[in-house]
Amino acid sequence: MANRTVITLVGKDHVGIIAAVCNYFAENDINILDISQTTVQEFINMMMIVDLSAYKKSFPELSEDLDRVGERVGCTIRAQHEEIFNMMHRI
Amino acid sequence: MVELSEVIETNEMVSSENLDVRTITMGISLLDCMDPDLDACCAKIYDKITASAKDLVSVGDEIALEIGVPVINKRISITPAAIVGAPCCHSPEDFVKIAETLDNAAHKVGVNFIGGYSSLIQKGMTDADRIFLESIPEALASTENLCCSVSLGSTRTGINMDGVKLMGEKIVRTAELTKDRDSIGCAKLVVFCNPTDDNPFMAGAFHGVTEGERVINVGVSGPGVVRTAISKVRGESFETLCETIKKTAFKVTRVGQLVAKEASARLDVPFGIVDLSLAPTPAVGDSIADIIHEMGIEKCGAPGTTAALAILNDQVKKGGIMASSYVGGLSGAFIPVTEDSSMAEAASIGALSLEKLEAMTCVCSVGLDMIAIPGDTPASTISGIIADEMAIGMINQKTTAVRLIPVIGKKAGDSISLGGLLGEAEIMPVNTFGCADFVNRGGRIPAPVHSFKN
Repeated sequence: MANRTVITLVGKDHVGIIAAVCNYFAENDINILDISQTTVQEFINMMMIVDLSAYKKSFPELSEDLDRVGERVGCTIRAQHEEIFNMMHRI
Repeated sequence: MVELSEVIETNEMVSSENLDVRTITMGISLLDCMDPDLDACCAKIYDKITASAKDLVSVGDEIALEIGVPVINKRISITPAAIVGAPCCHSPEDFVKIAETLDNAAHKVGVNFIGGYSSLIQKGMTDADRIFLESIPEALASTENLCCSVSLGSTRTGINMDGVKLMGEKIVRTAELTKDRDSIGCAKLVVFCNPTDDNPFMAGAFHGVTEGERVINVGVSGPGVVRTAISKVRGESFETLCETIKKTAFKVTRVGQLVAKEASARLDVPFGIVDLSLAPTPAVGDSIADIIHEMGIEKCGAPGTTAALAILNDQVKKGGIMASSYVGGLSGAFIPVTEDSSMAEAASIGALSLEKLEAMTCVCSVGLDMIAIPGDTPASTISGIIADEMAIGMINQKTTAVRLIPVIGKKAGDSISLGGLLGEAEIMPVNTFGCADFVNRGGRIPAPVHSFKN
């Protein structure tokens, strides 16, 4: 599978959520290709597409690290390969 | 570029509609393990399976994590054991030794089932086949993860009624040997008409002799996803209903195709097929009966059920076929009673009978599946039920199967619990009029006229 990965974040909105995620990406050589976000009432729903080409760690480590960042900011953050969405929603 | 709404839709399917990939099954040929010496044969089998499948479970888990869709089961299917053991097995005990070897190999690599303790006797039985069939009850009672299947008929060959009679007896014997656990041995024993060589689902998976050295087959699932999709088109015409099922089946199958290709690449084993089956689990909402209810049938088993199931089965295929480069296996809707909590409930309130289930098997994949029946049901009656189901498969040129559980010591209306994916249910009543004289005739039923295509 390619290195493009979809990051989704769901949780209660407050200052600094995206900063915390972006900081992690910056520290770990993960390049952000696209960001979209909606906030309904006080809940934030955010999606990023990132490039893992220069990321040194493994995918399970990314997953665990994002869990930790998510815990800190009170959100659920998950990473999935972009391919799953392309397969399901594109012919 | 992927859109947020698509990501949310996919993740909703996983988090609240039980979308998963039901199984990655590695088929392994054991033809090169045949040996006149039993111990040598067992050693070769163990070594080949543990070497071939050593990374199967970890690769399955890895892919699941990376795409965010669970891969529930990792399994193995092997060349029918009656063939592999033919040169070295001179008694049922010899075959049991092979069964135990297979079970040990499954434990070693961490898969939850290994299928292919099987025999293909749709036309006749070799001496080895006869010895093998004798070994089945003991083999299932003394192993944990072994699955057994026997092919008793096909459209091309007719039905081996000697085999049908024998398997009725073996099912009862298997039930007796595992009676302390609600006769669970029978949940791992299935008989087939027109079986497929590349089925990834248990208990009927085996690695056919025309298959390659190793192969990766994947079984998808997703009854909950289909039900949610059609709940959004309540009251609309059949055209809309069918289109909705088709589109949903496409999406579900694409996940299977991705997992199959990835697993194949990472394990360096050729990709075989994706099986488009809708396989229920006892989890709430993961039910074929619920889909039928959502279509407008009050309770599964009511008039209209067979038509609803026919629609479901056909649309799943139409949607799924385009989603995968190779489709195979059983590919259709499964109707295992104990494994589908809503179907079990329909049976317990009297909406669904054994006879209605038989009718339903004419239009979906597989057959009378995971049905608990009274423990005092005569073997000849079980053989009669098998013969009926084999006849449906033979005449309609489709796979049919029977997996009945005569629960020793229990009667109609009593409850059984088999645990885990095997589920629970009430015991269904069986027609008490006999068919022993029919079953005892012996010989085989000739192939039907439409099998002569040459």
